[in-house]
Amino acid sequence: MSTASRATSLSTPDAVAAARRGTPSPAGPPPSAQKKRLNRRENLAGYGFLAPWLIGFFALTVGPMAISLYLAFTRYNLFTDPVWVGLDNFERLFADPNYIQSVTITLVYVLVGTPIKLAAALAIAMLLNYRDRGAAFFRSAFYAPSLIGASVSVAIVWRAMFSAEGPVDSGLSLFGIRLGSWVGNVDLVVPMLIILAVWQFGAPMVIFLAGLKQVPHELYEAAQMDGAGPMRKFLSVTLPMLSPVIFFNLLLETINAFQIFASAFIISNGSGGPGGQTNYYTVYLYKRAFADLQMGYASAMAWVLLVVVAIIAFVLFRTSKSWVHYGGDTK
Amino acid sequence: MFSARRNRAAATFAAMALTGAVVLTGCSGSGESASGGGGEGGGEPVSLNFAFWGNDVRAAMYDEAIAAFNEEYPDIEVNVSFLGFPEFWEKRQIEATSGGLPDVMQFDYSYMRQYADNGLLLDLEPYLGEQIDTDPLSEQILGIGVVNDTTYGIATSTNAWTMFQNPKLLETVGAEPYEGGGTWEDYTEYVAGVTETAKAAGQEIYGGTDYTGRIQNFEIQLRAEGDALFTEDGEPGFDQERLQEFWEEGEALRNGGALPGQRIEEIYPLSGFDSALTTSELTWDNFGAGYLGNLGEEYTELTLTEPPVTVEGAKDLYVKPSMLHTIAATTEHPEEAATLLNFLVNSPEVGAAFGTNRGLPASETQLEGIELDGLDAQIRDYEESISDRLGDAPPVPIVGFGSIEEKFRQLGSDLGLGVITPEAAAEQFFQELDVILAQ
Repeated sequence: MSTASRATSLSTPDAVAAARRGTPSPAGPPPSAQKKRLNRRENLAGYGFLAPWLIGFFALTVGPMAISLYLAFTRYNLFTDPVWVGLDNFERLFADPNYIQSVTITLVYVLVGTPIKLAAALAIAMLLNYRDRGAAFFRSAFYAPSLIGASVSVAIVWRAMFSAEGPVDSGLSLFGIRLGSWVGNVDLVVPMLIILAVWQFGAPMVIFLAGLKQVPHELYEAAQMDGAGPMRKFLSVTLPMLSPVIFFNLLLETINAFQIFASAFIISNGSGGPGGQTNYYTVYLYKRAFADLQMGYASAMAWVLLVVVAIIAFVLFRTSKSWVHYGGDTK
Repeated sequence: MFSARRNRAAATFAAMALTGAVVLTGCSGSGESASGGGGEGGGEPVSLNFAFWGNDVRAAMYDEAIAAFNEEYPDIEVNVSFLGFPEFWEKRQIEATSGGLPDVMQFDYSYMRQYADNGLLLDLEPYLGEQIDTDPLSEQILGIGVVNDTTYGIATSTNAWTMFQNPKLLETVGAEPYEGGGTWEDYTEYVAGVTETAKAAGQEIYGGTDYTGRIQNFEIQLRAEGDALFTEDGEPGFDQERLQEFWEEGEALRNGGALPGQRIEEIYPLSGFDSALTTSELTWDNFGAGYLGNLGEEYTELTLTEPPVTVEGAKDLYVKPSMLHTIAATTEHPEEAATLLNFLVNSPEVGAAFGTNRGLPASETQLEGIELDGLDAQIRDYEESISDRLGDAPPVPIVGFGSIEEKFRQLGSDLGLGVITPEAAAEQFFQELDVILAQ
């Protein structure tokens, strides 16, 4: 059914395009000059309506990207003209210990933070799906942190919460755990930021919840008849049926995680400290660009990030064939 | 056939883009004219943007200064904005490239060359002796704002490197103040001693902070040895080994003698001295008022003493021009901007508002406005007392000195946290230096 409708929708513009090109469409008579003019005018109107987006796309996205690609191969301090330096910036990148450290902590943040965040989101979504009463309230309540999580105020509150004698420190001390301040502790800053990220599980949770609602109830009933317990139902029904949603969330959250900036920037007061532990990729990029005015270096960093994220997305898409099941799949 | 379609699309796109651009410029044009005629009453009301770095304490002082300015010049409206020091420069850098610098700026010596070389600052020559009164300023002070034989800025004040101590905190610990001068080892031992005494009494107070985190302490050591941070040609006046040696000196302080690195991170952007955690701090002498502000009402008194000295009799200290004021080359009201600059540099009212918050005023008329008492008098006396140790000021800092200073601070912080060795830190510093010098 869906294939059929797609075929029809494809055939129509083809015919229109053929008519516009002036080639007589096999079905109809040659169009008159008047009709041609009308078509052109319609065309113009179409692009006219598209213009705001097109201008934005070229002026704010494609243009800057092209320029930054060029700058990645130059030495540029904003004041004087860029000087072409070939691959110098990229060579420097991989010899720069701060860059290597920045990549390492960013990878730890992405690889540890994202799965935990998705697991938390799925767990809460299943809880909310379990019963309907009050679901709307809890859905909003759990979603709230995502709305404010990236904001400056929360990062400030977070900083206070994890300081020495702050709520977290005092709370843990009840259990005899004395960690002192997390903010100034080289080993605890990355975990702290991961917790902050996990706490913002609202967006994937809402998507998971929508996915869970789509799982046909008959499947659970059938599984129950076959004597499946809750764990078996989760593994054999919920997870496979949810796999497209999991894939979507995984992709989105991974890409998002690579771009962590505001929370790290605020918590460290923009210093990247302590010991470079909040010097995430984008924070370092920003500092290189706007504190050190090394625009070429920063552009090179931006492009390496783009390529790496593209590769990760590509790998995810490739592996998805083996674990993502779309409804109606016979696999 | 496809390309014909694309051409048409391109033409349409170009037309739309053009229309869009016209609409946009039309908007901004009308905006400008609206703001130009926005004032009311006589004269030609003009509005200027003014930016400075500082904290709330300084902001209140500027409010007072601008209010006094408006009493005299009601037609010049001044929009004031301020940020912390690093953020202030990040914002200026962006504005510098987009042509949106504030009309009048509080300005740091270390960025003078960079901004002047790139034509971002207004040549002040036509206004000297006109809007800007040069009589109360000494030749030496006027010379400070000169880059490539052109005056771009006027220094409001001078300051010198010093050691602040907190007598009340010392009393709490029951320790004697550091008597000033002496060797760096003496000071290190003293700091560790205070820390130990406090620790024995169960207090979290330290004798000081690891001084090797500040590039200025390194600079005065180099000056005592007859070197400098940077030569006249902008080459580093020290090698990697010398820097490593300097950072190794701080080992004893980092290993329990002074305020631990982790605590420094926690209280950043305040320092240990601001937070009543340390009894001494080596810094510029105009920091006193800010310290008292941050320390709160409990603390009313600070003392100034000579920093340790590397070679007895050396002329290692110098009087540094501080807080220059400059005008952006892009300003639309250069005369009014010059009037404001003159007021901020020379008027006794501004002197009264600031005291020594910006340093000891360089302008005679402004100095007259200050009743030097308390800390302000101490600072003046201090600068007089060190006259034997004062040498020539170093040349205008090289382009990128701001980044170099920040890198030094960051490596100092990493050393304090123990995540890097002095050897690796010195190596990293020189790597970075090469890049900055090549820019």
